[in-house]
Amino acid sequence: MATNNDSVAMGAPVAAPQESFWARNRHYLLLAPGVVWMVLFLVVPLLMMVYVSFWTQTTFAISSDLTIKSWQTFFASETYFGALLRTLRIWLTVLFFTFLIGYPTALFIGQFVRNKTLQTVLLVACVIPFWTSFLIRVLAWRPMLGKEGAVNIVLQGLGIIDQPIEVLLFTELSVIIGMVQIYVVFMVGPIAFMLARIDHSLIEAARDLGASAWTIFRTIIFPLSLPGVVVGAIFVSVMVLGEFATASALSGRKVNLLGNIIVTQVGSLKWAFAAVVGVILTAVMAVVITALLRVVNLRKEL
Amino acid sequence: MYELKTLRIGLAIYTALFIGFLYGPFIVMGILSFQNGPDGGPQFPIIEWSTFWYQHVLGFAPPSRVAPLPIGEALTRSLTLAFATMVVSTVLGTLTAQAFRTKFKGSGVVFYLVVLGMMVPGVLLGLGMALVADQMGVDRNWWSTAFVLHVVYTYPFAFLVMLAIFNRFDKSIEEAAWALGVPPGKTFRKVTFPIIFPGVLSAMLFALTLSYDEFPRTLFTGGSDVTMPIAIYGTFAVEIHPNLFAFGVLTTLFSFALLTVYGILMGLTVRRARASGIQEDI
Repeated sequence: MATNNDSVAMGAPVAAPQESFWARNRHYLLLAPGVVWMVLFLVVPLLMMVYVSFWTQTTFAISSDLTIKSWQTFFASETYFGALLRTLRIWLTVLFFTFLIGYPTALFIGQFVRNKTLQTVLLVACVIPFWTSFLIRVLAWRPMLGKEGAVNIVLQGLGIIDQPIEVLLFTELSVIIGMVQIYVVFMVGPIAFMLARIDHSLIEAARDLGASAWTIFRTIIFPLSLPGVVVGAIFVSVMVLGEFATASALSGRKVNLLGNIIVTQVGSLKWAFAAVVGVILTAVMAVVITALLRVVNLRKEL
Repeated sequence: MYELKTLRIGLAIYTALFIGFLYGPFIVMGILSFQNGPDGGPQFPIIEWSTFWYQHVLGFAPPSRVAPLPIGEALTRSLTLAFATMVVSTVLGTLTAQAFRTKFKGSGVVFYLVVLGMMVPGVLLGLGMALVADQMGVDRNWWSTAFVLHVVYTYPFAFLVMLAIFNRFDKSIEEAAWALGVPPGKTFRKVTFPIIFPGVLSAMLFALTLSYDEFPRTLFTGGSDVTMPIAIYGTFAVEIHPNLFAFGVLTTLFSFALLTVYGILMGLTVRRARASGIQEDI
C-alpha cells in the first residue's frame, strides 16, 4: 500500500496543489502505517508458520525441503491428537461455565442497577483483580486448591467435609476452575454493556401488556444481549484456545493443551513440528471465530 | 412486582458471591505474602506473620537460598517496553480510526486485518515471529521482535476505542474550523484532539496495561533479557515462593496509583470541557 502511494505521488505533476493530493489520498496516508505494520508483523509471521510446517525437521535444525512428515507425526500420535481433543473439551467447558456464571452478574449490573455510578463501581470492582499480573493470579490458585488450601480449610471449618478434597489441585478440574475465574470477566463486561443499552420503556411496555418476567427475559432481554454474549465468547475462546500457562501451572504439567505442545516443541528446537501445531490451532480459531461472527456483525455493534 | 423484588435480591446476593469468587485468590495471595521467611512456603498454614517477603522483593532481606526477583532490570525493561508500545499503538490507532471516519473501499478488509491482531493467540504470533527472525538472521530482543508484536496486540484495542470515540463525535465542529480557514493540521491539534483526549487516554491505558502484562508473545521473541512476566514464568519451572505474592500485592497497589492518576486526569478534562462550555454560553 505504501509503494502504491509513492508511485501516485511521483506520477503526479510537481505543480499540482498539495492540498488536493492530501485530500485525494487522505485515507491511504492515514491507513498506511497501521496496515504496513500489521502485514509485516502479523500476516507475514502467520504465513511463515504455515510455510515452515512443511519444512523438514532434523534433530536440531530445520531445512526448507518441503515434506508433510511433521503433519503425519501429529495425526498419527495419540499424545498430540489427544491434546487437540483435550483443548477443544476444556475450551467448551470453560466457555459454558463463564457464560453460566457470568450472565446473572451481567444481568444484575446491566438491568437491575439503574444508577450509572453504581454500575461503573461494580464493573470496576470486577476488573480490579486484573491489575495483578496474570501469572501471579494463576499461581494464587495453588494455595486456594491444594490439599491444605483455602477451599479445603473453609469447607472443613464449616463442617461440610471431613477429609480434604484432593482432586482439586493438579488435575484437569483445577485448570478449568482457574481459567473460568480468570476469564469470566471478559464475558460479564460485554454482556453488561449490551444489557445496559436496552431501552427500559421496551420492558415497561411488555410488562404493561401483561408479560411475565420470564417471557420478558426470553423474548426481549436475552435476544438484545446476544451480541454481548458473542463478543464475550470470542474473547474467552481466543484466550482459552491459546492458553498454556494456566494448564502448566495448575495441572503440574499433566494437562497438555495445544499451546503447551508448542512451547515444549520450541524449547527442544522442533520448529517445524511446533509450526504444525500452530497451524492446527489457527485453523480451530478461524472456524470458531467465523462461526461466532456469523451470529453478530461486530462492526455494526460499535 | 413482588416476584421482581425477590429476583433483584437474589441476583444481588449472587453478584456479591461472584465478586467474592473473583477476589478469593487475590485475598489468599495477600494473606500468604505475609508468610514467615525464608522457610515458609506459598501455602497454609501461616507459620508466623512477617514482612520478610516484602523486604525480599525490595532487596532489603539478607541473602538466602531464595534467589531475588530481577526487579531492577526486568521491571525497567517491562515499563520501557510498555511505554513505547503505548505511544506507538495509540498513534497508529488514532490514525487508522481517523481514516475510518469517512467511508472508503476495502474498509472491511482493513478493519478485520487490524482486529485480527487482538484475536490471534499470542503463542502463535510469538512462534511465527521467532521463525521469521530466525530465517532472516535477526536477533530476538525485547525491544525489537517482542516490541513489534506488543504493538500488533495493543494497536487494535487503541483503534477500537478511538473508533467508538469518533463515532460519537460531531463532525460539524471540525467543518466549522475548516470553513474559517484553519489548516487541517492545526484543526486536529486545536479542535479535534482536545475533544478526543479522553479516548486517547483510555487507549493509552489499555495499551500500557496489556503490554506490561503481556507474556505469550514475549516468551519466544524476547531473547535472553527477560521482561517481568517472563521472569515470573521462569519461576514456574522451579519452586515458587511467597515473594511472588508480595510482588503481586505491590504491583496491584502500583496499578491503583496509576489508575487514580488516570481518574484525576479524566476528571480534569471533563471539568475543563464543562468550564469552557459555560464560557461559550456567556
